[in-house]
Amino acid sequence: MNRTPDSRGVMLSTSDLTVGYDERTVLDGLDLDLPADAFTVIVGPNACGKSTLLRTMARLLTPRRGAVLLDGAAIRDLPTREVARRLGVLPQSPLVPEGVTVADLVGRGRQPYQRWWRQWSEQDAAAVDRAMTQADVAGLADRPVDTLSGGQRQRVWIAMTLAQDTEALLLDEPTTFLDLAHQVEVLDLLHRLRAERGRTVVAVLHDLNQAARYADHLIAMREGKVVAAGPPREILTADLVRDVFGLDCVVVPCPVTGAPLVVPGLTSPHLAPTAAGPAVPVHSPGGDSAAPAHSLAGDPVIPAPAVPATTPAPAGSSAGDAADPLAGPYPSKGH
Amino acid sequence: MTAVQSSRPTAAGLPGRSLVRLGPVSVQVRRRAMLVAAVTTVLLAAAVVLSLSLGTPYVAPADVLRSLSGAGTPYDLVVRDLRVPRIVLAATAGAAFGIAGTLIQSVARNPLASPDVIGITQGAGLAATVAITTGAAAVLVAPAALLGGLGAALLLLALGARHGLAAQRFVLAGVAVAFALRALTEVVMLSADPIDGLRAQIWLIGTLAGRGWSETLWIALTLAVLLPVLAWAGWALNGTALDDDTARGIGLRPGARRVGLATTGVVLAATVTAQVGAVDFVALVAPQVARRLVRAERPPLACAALVGALLLVLADLAGRRLFAPTQLPAGVLTAAIGGPYLMFLLVRRRRRFA
Repeated sequence: MNRTPDSRGVMLSTSDLTVGYDERTVLDGLDLDLPADAFTVIVGPNACGKSTLLRTMARLLTPRRGAVLLDGAAIRDLPTREVARRLGVLPQSPLVPEGVTVADLVGRGRQPYQRWWRQWSEQDAAAVDRAMTQADVAGLADRPVDTLSGGQRQRVWIAMTLAQDTEALLLDEPTTFLDLAHQVEVLDLLHRLRAERGRTVVAVLHDLNQAARYADHLIAMREGKVVAAGPPREILTADLVRDVFGLDCVVVPCPVTGAPLVVPGLTSPHLAPTAAGPAVPVHSPGGDSAAPAHSLAGDPVIPAPAVPATTPAPAGSSAGDAADPLAGPYPSKGH
Repeated sequence: MTAVQSSRPTAAGLPGRSLVRLGPVSVQVRRRAMLVAAVTTVLLAAAVVLSLSLGTPYVAPADVLRSLSGAGTPYDLVVRDLRVPRIVLAATAGAAFGIAGTLIQSVARNPLASPDVIGITQGAGLAATVAITTGAAAVLVAPAALLGGLGAALLLLALGARHGLAAQRFVLAGVAVAFALRALTEVVMLSADPIDGLRAQIWLIGTLAGRGWSETLWIALTLAVLLPVLAWAGWALNGTALDDDTARGIGLRPGARRVGLATTGVVLAATVTAQVGAVDFVALVAPQVARRLVRAERPPLACAALVGALLLVLADLAGRRLFAPTQLPAGVLTAAIGGPYLMFLLVRRRRRFA
């Protein structure tokens, strides 16, 4: 299941990692390798341990047993300043300090390189300038962070972690609380960091389709265990979504990127397509290039195309009922 | 978006700051903070001269300056022996209160968290009251007050440590500690001899009357010993605006840092309170005034110290002259300014969160 990442090499890994809160054990003996120079996305249902895993790797939580390894060295044995020069962390909802300007906050990302007797250097200036340009917040330099919109703020926080000049970046649900346009903006930025700067990016995301669109390496978790790991086009199937989320769905190629697109199955008869929009099961529109990727995974991507989509599910059937046959996917716009 | 390139960080520092070099040490200073410090210093000097001049007898400012320069005037006794020690004490104590308030408020991320709100002053007050009413030697009052203030801080630490010294709980626990200690102080005072009770009462309000060089010496000594710590603290305070996770992410150890900064603030606050009594609200108001003048998320230590010194010198002057010949303790005046200011803070916060 837990396939080794391709030839990229491993930067972060966990060994026998056991983490819990009070009585509850969230992760129990987890062994995991994260590929270097990749955008890794961790997905899974609420309380599956994905945030706990990320926070432990970011040394915000202390494991009960086992270790997080950064290039093979246990992260707990490294001085926190050294870790901060190699690993940037963006927690889920950072407290926005009152009256701090954007440049000031981004400048605090230089902390691991500064001492009270050496508070600023040319490298600091260059790194802050570069980080603000990369995250596209240079025009906001003098604005107090607490006056910015959610999307702008998130870019500022990312700029702060970029100013740290780390090889790797860990982000806990960086798109939560943002509208769709800002979500895409943030994910595009993370994608660019990986593609153009060769940074290792690890993020917890809620949206499976965004995960499939952006991730090089997808990790699906359930109840503290890794259910599957690998490139989304190879591992993201209807079976996996059912295993992980307990939700029946249809996986079709995304009409824009060709990445797997997860569409929940018909969960209520009222949602069935009406006569106005004839339901046409999607058979890989336009012979999309993504289709082979799915067959590679050896999974029936579009289940039971024979079932007429127009047939409403039997009355009384409830959502998530595994026995309930899936209705066909919704018609695609066809472009 | 990037067309309006407002300002960029340069080798000299972030926008609005300059790099001040002293040998191997290079420190980032906000230019606005330097301006505020310069203006406050001028105002402080003016307030000191005014305070030396006003009173009975009145001494013209020119004579004050001449006397200070050692030229020898008929007013030397009044100016140099009677007024200077008291005013130097006011300035020193005010500065120390300003620094202590800044440290504790920044650690708690709450403008209400000053030593007189969270129980440090009340702990010192209880110990001093006990010392005074049990007839202990006068020299023991200050050490007792110091221990009382530190004891209150330890109690607070024990209450707060259970929750990892979280900022908000720290303040709530402090307010509870302050009330409990004040109630105990009342009990001690009421059950004591009325004369001793009155003396304790005056101590509790806080006055600079009849105090001078020896009190100043203790405060200055503490400040001197803490100077290296304060140099570090001025920088470390930058991290306190961030939440713990974010702070850890950039390589800080927020817990250790908080304990270090708070301990420094508590030691300073307890020392000053032991020397001048419970002069309320200077530690609360000075950092906030300095912060607003500098327009930063927290006041630079030097600015808070200067504003604190100015506040206490003015409060002492007003206490001496406002209802002359009746002398009001400086603590009454600072409370009269601080009370309404505290209400203003509360109202403003509520509006912000509404």
